[in-house]
Amino acid sequence: MVRRRGAAAAGTSMVVAALALTGCAQGTGDEGADVDFSADGSPSGELSVMGFGTGDEIGEVRYDRATQDLEGVDVRLAEGELDIQAFLSAVASGNPPDLVYANRDQIGTFASRDAILPLDECVDAEGVDLDAFVDTAVEQVTFDGSVYGIPEFNQVQVTMANADLLSAAGLTVDDVNGSDRDAVTAANEALMRTAGGTLSVIGFDSKLPEFLPLWAKAAGADLLSEDGRTAQLDAPEVVEALEWAVGIYDAQGGFPAVKTYRDSADFFGAGNQFATGVLGAMPMEQWYINVLNESSPDAPMAFDAVRTPDGDAIAFASGSAWAVPRGSENPAAACRFARLMTETDAWVQAAQARADARAQDGLVFTGVLTGNEEADEQIRADLVPDDAPQPWQDAIDAMYEANDATFALPANPADNEFETAWQDAVNRVLNGQQEPADALAQAQDEAQQALDDAWARWDEED
Amino acid sequence: MTTAPSFPRPAVSGAGAATDPAAGTPETLGPPPPARPAPSARGPRRRWLRAVVLAALVLATVAFVYPLLWLLSASFKPRAEVFDNRLVPRTFTLDNYVTVWQEAPLALWLGNTVVVTVLAAGLVTVSSALVAWGFAFFRFRGRGPLFGLVLATMMLPGAVTMIPTFLIWNQLGLVGTNVPLWAGNLFASAFYVFLLRQFFLGLPREPFEAARLDGANNWQMFWRIAVPLCRPALVLTFLFEAQASWTDLMRPLIYLQDSSTFTIPRGLKALIDQFGPGGESQWEVVVTASVITTLPMILLFFLGQRHFVEGVATTGSKG
Amino acid sequence: MTTPVAPALPTPATGGSREAPVRRRRARPSPSERRERNAALRFISPWIVGFVVFTAWPILYSAYLSLTDYDVINDPTFVGLDNYREMAQDPKVALSLWNTLVYTVVQVPLYTVVALALALLLNQAARSAGFFRTAFFIPKMTPPVAVGVLLLLLFNGQYGIVNEVLSWVGIQGPSWTTDQDWIKPGLVLISLWTVGSAVIILLAALRNVPNDLYDAARVDGAGFWRRTRAVTVPMISGALFFVVVINTIAGFQMFTEAYSAYFGAGNSTYRNDAALFYVIYLFQEGFQELHMGYASALAWLLFVVIMLVTVVQLVVSRRLVYYEGEQR
Repeated sequence: MVRRRGAAAAGTSMVVAALALTGCAQGTGDEGADVDFSADGSPSGELSVMGFGTGDEIGEVRYDRATQDLEGVDVRLAEGELDIQAFLSAVASGNPPDLVYANRDQIGTFASRDAILPLDECVDAEGVDLDAFVDTAVEQVTFDGSVYGIPEFNQVQVTMANADLLSAAGLTVDDVNGSDRDAVTAANEALMRTAGGTLSVIGFDSKLPEFLPLWAKAAGADLLSEDGRTAQLDAPEVVEALEWAVGIYDAQGGFPAVKTYRDSADFFGAGNQFATGVLGAMPMEQWYINVLNESSPDAPMAFDAVRTPDGDAIAFASGSAWAVPRGSENPAAACRFARLMTETDAWVQAAQARADARAQDGLVFTGVLTGNEEADEQIRADLVPDDAPQPWQDAIDAMYEANDATFALPANPADNEFETAWQDAVNRVLNGQQEPADALAQAQDEAQQALDDAWARWDEED
Repeated sequence: MTTAPSFPRPAVSGAGAATDPAAGTPETLGPPPPARPAPSARGPRRRWLRAVVLAALVLATVAFVYPLLWLLSASFKPRAEVFDNRLVPRTFTLDNYVTVWQEAPLALWLGNTVVVTVLAAGLVTVSSALVAWGFAFFRFRGRGPLFGLVLATMMLPGAVTMIPTFLIWNQLGLVGTNVPLWAGNLFASAFYVFLLRQFFLGLPREPFEAARLDGANNWQMFWRIAVPLCRPALVLTFLFEAQASWTDLMRPLIYLQDSSTFTIPRGLKALIDQFGPGGESQWEVVVTASVITTLPMILLFFLGQRHFVEGVATTGSKG
Repeated sequence: MTTPVAPALPTPATGGSREAPVRRRRARPSPSERRERNAALRFISPWIVGFVVFTAWPILYSAYLSLTDYDVINDPTFVGLDNYREMAQDPKVALSLWNTLVYTVVQVPLYTVVALALALLLNQAARSAGFFRTAFFIPKMTPPVAVGVLLLLLFNGQYGIVNEVLSWVGIQGPSWTTDQDWIKPGLVLISLWTVGSAVIILLAALRNVPNDLYDAARVDGAGFWRRTRAVTVPMISGALFFVVVINTIAGFQMFTEAYSAYFGAGNSTYRNDAALFYVIYLFQEGFQELHMGYASALAWLLFVVIMLVTVVQLVVSRRLVYYEGEQR
C-alpha cells in the first residue's frame, strides 16, 4: 500500500517536473532590458563574433587593428558565413554571440524578431559617423528611424568577359553588358559550345537567382515599393526579365546542365572558368576582379559595368553589416569593435596593405568598395592607379562607375522572407517546376503575406 | 532519451539506414550455422552456376567498395584532378590533409565526437540493460502491457518529440552544449531494451537458482551473473549506439552552435557549406574531411566486426 | 553461452509462467507479488522517467504547441487551428509530403529486392560468403553526411563516375544532382549503397530455412523460381517484413543525406524543391524560421501518416507473413 502510493507520488512529481520545465513556456528574450553600449574606459571581457572570417588582408589588417585597440577584450571568431539557423537558434536559447556579421538584407528580419538591438545608443556612444557610409547601405539597415547595423563592404556587379572568346565570335563587351537584351541572347548562342552533347563552354551566365533584381531594375521595375510595404514581384517587367534570364539558360540545355558544369569549376583558383576559356561572359560581384587578378593575371579579360538600355551603369548593391544580438553579454565591446572595423582609417590601412602586397607581386591593386564613402574616396585617390595595364584599368573604372549607380531593395522588416519568396520562385522556374508568371504570382502572395505580418508587428509597437 | 525507432539509432536519422536490432529470439548467440551444403545436382551445371554467382558477387562488391576507394584516392589528389575518376591519382599529394587540418579544428571535433559517443553508448548500454533485466527477470502484473508500451515508443517518429525536447533542454540552459546529445541515454532506449531483453531471456536458470540459494539479492544477480553472461550483447549495444551517435547530424544541428563544440558530422556539414558547391568549390577539402570522418567508423567496424554482423543477423530472425 | 532454456527465469516468489486460463476476478497482489513488482519497477525506472519526460510529455506539449504561434524568443500566442488551416494551403506541405511519399514508395521495395537478391547470392556462395558479406556491410558505416558528399561527387552530371559508367553502355546519364526529375532517383540509388545490414538480416533468415522444404519442393518438380516463390519467400517473410517496416519508417524521416547535399548555409540562393523532404521542411520551419507552433503541427501530421502506414503494414502482415511457431 505504502509502496503503491509511493509509486504514484513519484509519478506525479515527475509529471510536475516536466510541466515546470516546459509548461510555462516563455520567451527567452529579456524584455526591453537597458543595454549599455558605453564602456567607461576600455571594454573588457569576452567578445564572441559569429559570421566573420579574416580571409584576406582587408579583413586581417582591420581585425588586427581592432583587437589591438581592444586590448582588454578576448575576441573569439566563429568563422564561416553566418548560418541563419544557427544564429536564431542561439538567440532563442538565450545564448547568442556578442556580435554578429550578417548580410544587410538579413538585418530587417532579425530586427523584426527582436533578435538584434537598435544601435542608436551605440552610434552615439562611439561617435560612429553614419554620414561617412554609403547612403543606400545605411538605408538598408534602418528601420523605424533606428539603425540596426553598421555597414561593411559594398558589392556591385560588373560585367566580366573572356576577351578572346568575344573577339573570336566577332563580339565586343557591349554585346554582353546587358544594355541590349537581344544582343546578349545572340551573344550567348554565339559563345556557347557543346561537345558530345554536354556543355563545354558556357556562353552567358545570367546568374539567377541572385541577380533577378538587377535584370528587373535594368528594365525599370522594382521588386518592392519604395516604402517597403508592397511587393511588386508579379509586375510584367519582372516576369519578362525572368523569362529572358531563364531563356539564356534554356538555350544552353537548361539550368541544371549549366549549374552542374559551373559546380565543378575551380572558381577561386588558377583554373577558373575565364582562365580555361569555358565561360564567355557574366555579371559578377566586383570582388572577383581581385581574385582574377591574383590567380590568373594573364587571363584574357574584358570588363564593363552592367548597363541599362540607356547605356547607364547600374548595380544592385549588397553587403554586410555588424549587428548586436539581443542578449549579447558585451554590447560595449561589440559596439566598439564594429566602429573600429568600419572607420575610415581602418579601411585605408587595409587597402594600403593590399596595395603593397600587390605591388610586391607585380600585380595591380584594383581597389576595394568598403561601404564607407569617405574611405572609398581616399583609397581611390591615393592607392588606386589610373594607368593600370588593361584590362584591369577597365575593371577599375567599371567598378567605380557601378558604385556610383547603385540601387538597393528598400529596407523592410521581412527582408529575409521576401528574398526567400522570390528566390524560391526563380528556383522553381530554373528547375522546370513552374512557369515564370505562375512562379512570380505565387511569390507575390507569399512575399506580401510576410510583409504584411512583419509590418503589422512593427506598426503595433509604435 | 527514449526515442523512436528510426535506425541505426532512435533519432531522426536518415533513411537507407535499415535495421537495427529489434531483435527476435536468437536461438543461440554463436556464429551463424554453417552454410548449407550445395543442393544435390552436381557436375558441370552446378559449377557453371557457381561461377555466375561468384561473378555477380564480385561485381556487386566492386560497386559497393568502389565509392570508398574513390573517396580515399580523391583525397590524395589536387583540386583540379578530384573529378577525373582515376583510381590511382595522377598527382599524388598529401597537401589536402594538411589543409583540412588547418582549415578546420578536426582534432577538436574528433575529441568532441569521442566524448559524446562514449557517453551516449556507455549510458544507454547500462540503462537499457537495467530496464531489460527488469522486464526479463521479474514477473508482475502489467508486465506485458508495459512492455508493449516500450515497443510502441519504438514506432514513434523522432520528429514529433523533437521540438518539445529542444524546449526542455532550452529551459535547462543546455542548448549550445553537447549534453542533449547524450544525456537522454540515461533513460534507456526502447530499441536496446528489446534487444537485451531477448538476450536475458535466453539465459539458463542454473546460475540464478544457485545464487538464490546463496542468498544473492536482485542487484547481485543482475550485476554478477546476468551481465557477464550477456557481455556479447552488451558489446553489441555499445557498438551500435556508438555508430549511431558518431554519425548523427540532426541533434548537433539543433543543439550545437559554436564550431568549437561541433561533432564530426556537424563539422563535415559546415565544411561542405564552406567548401562545397555553394561555397568555394574546394572539393578536395570536403573529400579529405569525409575520409577522415569515415575512417574511425570503418576501424570500429573491423574491431567489432563479429558483433556487428551477428547482432544485425539476429535482429531480423524473428521480425 | 550455455544452452538457453525455455522462457521464464526462476523468479523469487511466484514460480511458473502463465496464470491458469480460468480466472475469477483478480485478487489483490500478494505481498510477494508486490515485492516482485517493485523490484522490477526499480530496474525499469530509468525508462519510465525517460518516457514521461521525453516521450509522453513532449507528445502532449507538442499537441498544445501546434495550436500556438511560438518563436521561442517571445511568448507563445494561442491561435487555435490556424496552423492546421495554413498547412492545408501551404504548397510546401503538399510538396514535401509528396516528395517523401514518392521516395519511400520507390526506395523500400527496391531496397528490399536488392537486399534479397544479394542475400540469395550470398546464400549460394558457401565459404566465401563471409568476405562478401563484409564488403557489403562496410558502406553502412559511412556517416550519412559523407554519403551526401559522395552523392554530390559521384552523381555529378558532368563528371561523376555514375554517368561515366552509364556512358560505357551507351546511356547518357542525367544531371542527378540538379535535375528535379532525377534528384530523388539519385537519393534512392545512393541509399542502396547501404543495403548491407538488410542483406545480413535476410541472409540469416535464409540460412534458417530448413533444407527439407527445398528437397520436398524439388521432388515435386519445382524449378528455381517456383521454389523461391513457394518456399523461400514465405519462410523468410518475417525478416522481409521487418526490413520493409523499418525502412518505411526510416524513409518517411529521410533527412541527413538530403540535407547535407542540398540544404544548409552553403546553398543559400539555389535550392531545389525536389529534395525538400517532409522532415527537412519541418526542421526548417522549426529551427530556421522559428515557427515552432507550425512545426509542431507539421510533426503531428507526420505522426499520423506514419501511424497509418504502419498499421496498414501490420494488418497486411497478418495475412502475408508466416512465423515459424509463435513465440511468447
